[in-house]
Amino acid sequence: MGYRDVAKVGLGGPVGSGKTALVQRLVPRLDEAGYNVGVIANDIMTQEDADRLRESFADRLPADLVAGVETGACPHTGIREDPSMNLAKIDEFTERHPELDVVLIESGGDNLAATFNPELADYFMFVISVAEGDDIPRKRGPGVTQADLLVVNKTDLAPHVDVDLDVLRDDAKTVRGDDPTVFTNCKAEEGIDEVVDSIERSVLFA
Amino acid sequence: MTSSAALLTAMRLSDSMLPIGTYTASYGVEQYLNESEIETADELGELLAGYLRGVIGPAEIVALGHAHRSAAAGDIEGIVAADERLGAATLPAEFRDSSTKAGRKLLELLAETEGEPVDDTGEGVATDADPLAGAAGDGTVAEFAAACEDGRADGHYPVVLGIVCQRAGLSAREAALANAYGSVSGLLAAAQRLGRFGHTAIQSQLSALFPVIEEVSDRYHDAELDAMCSFAPLADVMGMAHERADRRLFMS
Repeated sequence: MGYRDVAKVGLGGPVGSGKTALVQRLVPRLDEAGYNVGVIANDIMTQEDADRLRESFADRLPADLVAGVETGACPHTGIREDPSMNLAKIDEFTERHPELDVVLIESGGDNLAATFNPELADYFMFVISVAEGDDIPRKRGPGVTQADLLVVNKTDLAPHVDVDLDVLRDDAKTVRGDDPTVFTNCKAEEGIDEVVDSIERSVLFA
Repeated sequence: MTSSAALLTAMRLSDSMLPIGTYTASYGVEQYLNESEIETADELGELLAGYLRGVIGPAEIVALGHAHRSAAAGDIEGIVAADERLGAATLPAEFRDSSTKAGRKLLELLAETEGEPVDDTGEGVATDADPLAGAAGDGTVAEFAAACEDGRADGHYPVVLGIVCQRAGLSAREAALANAYGSVSGLLAAAQRLGRFGHTAIQSQLSALFPVIEEVSDRYHDAELDAMCSFAPLADVMGMAHERADRRLFMS
């Protein structure tokens, strides 16, 4: 057993876009669907963050399937140029838990150019927030254009930050073609089932 | 004389592009900065000179040299002994972890990138143009990888580097230089990402450390394994404090 034997789902995106919130919504659903899940968070900077991460999955996942990976202040190197330390962590997971089905790998907050190395993630979603402005998709950052799934989070904030969701939807369609985009509001659990469906269809049933 | 292929291998092994995770290790430098023990580029340079003379030379290069000689003699037990002794001489758990993770990733990379060089027609040709690729099928490298796999060895990076360099046709002294240069450039780069050091100040420190890199490589590459020692008590304390540091961006 090793990292090649489990499905690996990457979540990238800028700081504060809601990657952690999305992971926290996905884990219970995948768990209830019968999958054995592991979670890796890159760049957990403080002990408090690490404790909070483990506690948030305490009733769902074994503590040794929730881990942080430090990336030496290079978040995109950790998921793209040299993912070896993330892969080493997944190997540790599979060694202890051969029954593992899927690992969610949350990148450290990064810029729009961050993409996942295909050897690290079988499926890669890029999470942006409505509050970052409605021009994010049309900047055509590699994260936005290359992701298997674009997740536009915090839709509830649109009226407060003068963002037109239709503009975001049209721009996403223009820059991503037929690749899917999902709108979510993690706080109200909206759109999460669609994300789970995409993961199941693309990597778990594949 | 060092062949072109061996020199290319030395450059490849020293290149920060080599994907074996060494950019995640600071070997205590992060903690020195967290605790404001170093603030200027000169202090950083002095610290790294201390690492070279206290740890990299007398512990890492001694292990690397012994592994190199053992690989030349096909003596797997000698390599395992160097690996074990380096682990015992390295006190902070995170330093051991960073070293063995990088060593094992290098072994894995060799095993996974085995492939014949391709000529200009796109056909595979048997040449020695890429001795590192050849090392994947090499008995000694594979034997040591198996020893790591079944728990007989830990796979410390300087030991793996010593074996690989020997198989690629580099001398023990050249391997020692590659190891010391890689350590220094990695730690300087880590400090630059963590602290407030200018890029020219960092390059100046690298230049100033070249004679120390040469000095420790000359002095220790052919030392006996029994002579191994590591003395950097404050670095060890910093390395141990880093395990419980409130803020951490590096694995060590």
